Amino acid sequence: MKTHANGVRPMRIRRSISHLGGLLAALLLAASPAAAKDYLLTGAKPDKLVLVDAAARKVERVLTIPGGGVAPGTIVPSSDGRIAYVVSNHMGSVSGIDLDSGKQVFRADFSTGDLRVRSLFGMDVSPDGKELYVFQAPVRMLPGEYRVEDTRIAVYSTADGVGAKPVRLLPAPRRVAVLAFSRDGGTLWALGWDLYGLDPKTGAVKETHKVLNWSRANHSPPDVLDIWPQFEQAATLSTPYFTARTDLAATDPGAFRTGLMTLDLATGRMDMRDFEDTSAVIFSSVVSPVKRTEAYSVYTQLTKIDTDGGKLVKRVDLPHTYYSINVSSDGKEVYVGGTACDIGVYGTDTLDRVGQVEIAGCPDQGIASLRVIRR
Amino acid sequence: MGQKPRGPGRWPGLLLGAVAGGVVFGGALTVAQDALADDGRMQGRALVEERCSACHQKEADGSLHRIDHVRKTPEGWTMTLFRMRQFHGVALSDEEQRTLVRYFADRQGLAPEEAAPYRYVLERRPSVVEEPVTDGDLTVMCARCHSVARVGLQRRDEDEWRRLVNFHLGQWPTIEYSAQGRDRKWWEIASTEIPQTLGGKFPFRTDAWTSWQAAPKPDLSGRWAVAGHRAGIGSYGGTATVTKEATKDGDGYRIAYDLTDSAGKPLKGEGRSTVFTGYEWRGTGTLDGKPVREVFAASRDGSRLDGRWFLTQQDEVGGSLHAVRAGGADSTILGTSQSFLKAGSTARITLWGSGLDRGEVGFGPGVSAKILSRGPTSVTVEATAAADAVPGARSLTVGGAKSAGFAVYATLDSIRVEPDFTIARVGGNGGPVPPMTAQFEAVGYLNGPDSKPGTADDVRVGPMPASWSVEPFNDAAAQMEDVKFAGAMGSNGLFTPAGAGPNPQRQFGTNNIGDLKVVGTVIDGSATLTGTGRLISTVQRWNDPPIH
Repeated sequence: MKTHANGVRPMRIRRSISHLGGLLAALLLAASPAAAKDYLLTGAKPDKLVLVDAAARKVERVLTIPGGGVAPGTIVPSSDGRIAYVVSNHMGSVSGIDLDSGKQVFRADFSTGDLRVRSLFGMDVSPDGKELYVFQAPVRMLPGEYRVEDTRIAVYSTADGVGAKPVRLLPAPRRVAVLAFSRDGGTLWALGWDLYGLDPKTGAVKETHKVLNWSRANHSPPDVLDIWPQFEQAATLSTPYFTARTDLAATDPGAFRTGLMTLDLATGRMDMRDFEDTSAVIFSSVVSPVKRTEAYSVYTQLTKIDTDGGKLVKRVDLPHTYYSINVSSDGKEVYVGGTACDIGVYGTDTLDRVGQVEIAGCPDQGIASLRVIRR
Repeated sequence: MGQKPRGPGRWPGLLLGAVAGGVVFGGALTVAQDALADDGRMQGRALVEERCSACHQKEADGSLHRIDHVRKTPEGWTMTLFRMRQFHGVALSDEEQRTLVRYFADRQGLAPEEAAPYRYVLERRPSVVEEPVTDGDLTVMCARCHSVARVGLQRRDEDEWRRLVNFHLGQWPTIEYSAQGRDRKWWEIASTEIPQTLGGKFPFRTDAWTSWQAAPKPDLSGRWAVAGHRAGIGSYGGTATVTKEATKDGDGYRIAYDLTDSAGKPLKGEGRSTVFTGYEWRGTGTLDGKPVREVFAASRDGSRLDGRWFLTQQDEVGGSLHAVRAGGADSTILGTSQSFLKAGSTARITLWGSGLDRGEVGFGPGVSAKILSRGPTSVTVEATAAADAVPGARSLTVGGAKSAGFAVYATLDSIRVEPDFTIARVGGNGGPVPPMTAQFEAVGYLNGPDSKPGTADDVRVGPMPASWSVEPFNDAAAQMEDVKFAGAMGSNGLFTPAGAGPNPQRQFGTNNIGDLKVVGTVIDGSATLTGTGRLISTVQRWNDPPIH
């Protein structure tokens, strides 16, 4: 098959009709970056990467992730928005998919020999796009027994393409769920028990913001589990946390508190602030790139949070559970995704549902990340 | 949502085939049973050497790594072999697996007293709330995901427990992230303190096992007196005839039940069983025309069988079973067709047990009993409680046999819903997992000497006819309209959950789970009494292993 000069493979006619607009748009965009607009990236079971034109409320392209697995996991776009790195193969591999050609341009299979290696959610690419950082949990498969090994961050050179092997293995604390580069690339933040600022060259812990080990009086250690990297728009990592007041009876309305942890990836400033007496389950959150003190969170309800004032501003019911959330570049829309086969679009002012995108065939998105890229 | 289970329904089938598999070895085998058992043992070891030793290498003392250092129940070994086939691609036919389960359970099983505290999980009793384990962090570290019983039904030394922990996190690396595992440094605790605690509490070598290995194993053939209770239906009793059946794996039996229910209606059944470890009876057959499985334990001396039978396809539905040898010198009362009599009333009551054909039949003060019919395993009387009979507990006696569990009452003081807390599970609706029902009984109680309800001295009168309803358990259940969506409570106290899957009619399109208060209402003369229990109807169990 011939490849066009721009790297886009010509598609067969019967497939091309619906993609023609997208292809043309991509070609135009390549020539005119000023016209860049928001695209959403999500995954769908068993092996699909889905590119969505956010404003058009339309699936632009469905790409196939080669090499097995039942559900795509963490998705990390390259900084130029051309490649998406997605974990698949039962958390055993990462594929870099060219979003224009659909071609797998990068692939690292984690396991080697008797070492079975799974990635556990945390993954990010360096701001210069050259290195991919993957948090991994290895287990040695010995004759007749397993031996759990220390967790680590494997660093891959994105230039190594298909068959990439780690160029460095960094020591890493256990139970890391999110990796996020500081804006300047000098620090790799790892959210686990605490929020660790790692040296991307060595893995050395440069600084630690205490999370579970906080020393807040009369509060239990906060419960944090957030496996959704949704920090690209505001360059702010955020996650809900839940804590119990140890000085109040469990029946006291204020006995359980929900808050939001935020980490500014430009400055390294971290904040943990309650915003309500716990009254809803929340899986993940995102900070507005425009009103930077406004955040939105999701599960069965969509919530607008005043992060500065520590207040719940508004909450609306969603038609079903959504695990992931992201926000438009102009701050006017939030997108709720994951779980099922649609992405709901809500206005950030009113939290009214203003649109939705359905993935054809209704495949579950499961725990796949919901990312925003500019193309 | 839309999850594709890896293989629901495989476990019960496997258990049926592997553990309760005596049925497949029927036939007129004429060779001496001992020789067959020896043959089975030799076959078992040969299979171990052939299929397992490539990975499980020989240690310095000649034992096989890991395999020879663990003791488990037949169900435990079934699960191990399932895992070896599923995860590690070990090639075993179902017949070979049966041979191996038999081999391991006999060679490295649990002594009767080691298994005794945890039999409920083997019997698949649906409403057991376990006691927390106080040793170390075992309840938190193990029993948030498993039953305590699953841990307590294994014996290993510390290093072997540590290997099991390594397997846990190696196979399921998200344990550390799960809601049950992330509130502590799970791996750090699991790999250090926990194996030490477990090795001390449940070690590989015990006096109990050494003693049981040396003990003669009972021959269970013969005629048995039987009694039991089916929740929501009532008691039953009669006889069972057990005959030895040689199988290539060793002891096997046929059993034929000749029972009646509390109303006197015949209840027939038959089955075949394999007895593992010398006392673990696992049977398959039919009862009242329905396919059932049996999980019984024989006593050390082979004088008793106790356990539970349940429907093959719906294991929450079943009954207790207690059996003693019929025709012995002693008399034993095993059960009664009803456990109470109202003052001033007369009822036909059957007592089941052994040696009941002799001696005086007594129901205690204020109750007269006229014998209507009598045999070695049952006696039926017309019992009359005097109008002024003093309410309270009574002992039943037949000759030298004595049994508690009978009461006389004038008016009931309280009703308790039993179980007071249980679960059901949504299912069906086109999905692969059937629903799990929940059966409640409204049980009448007297306050007892302290005149207060709900205290330890309350006298249990027995299950009463009741009407049933459900209410939201709390505000959240009311808001989510759980009563409307979670399922239906039948007139007999049987809760049938609603269909599985997302329900577009519900808020958030959520599934039909619910948190319900179960209310049983009993009319006692002019009084209306209610008791309450809690039912959480929850999601399907996608993975349903023999030991939860």
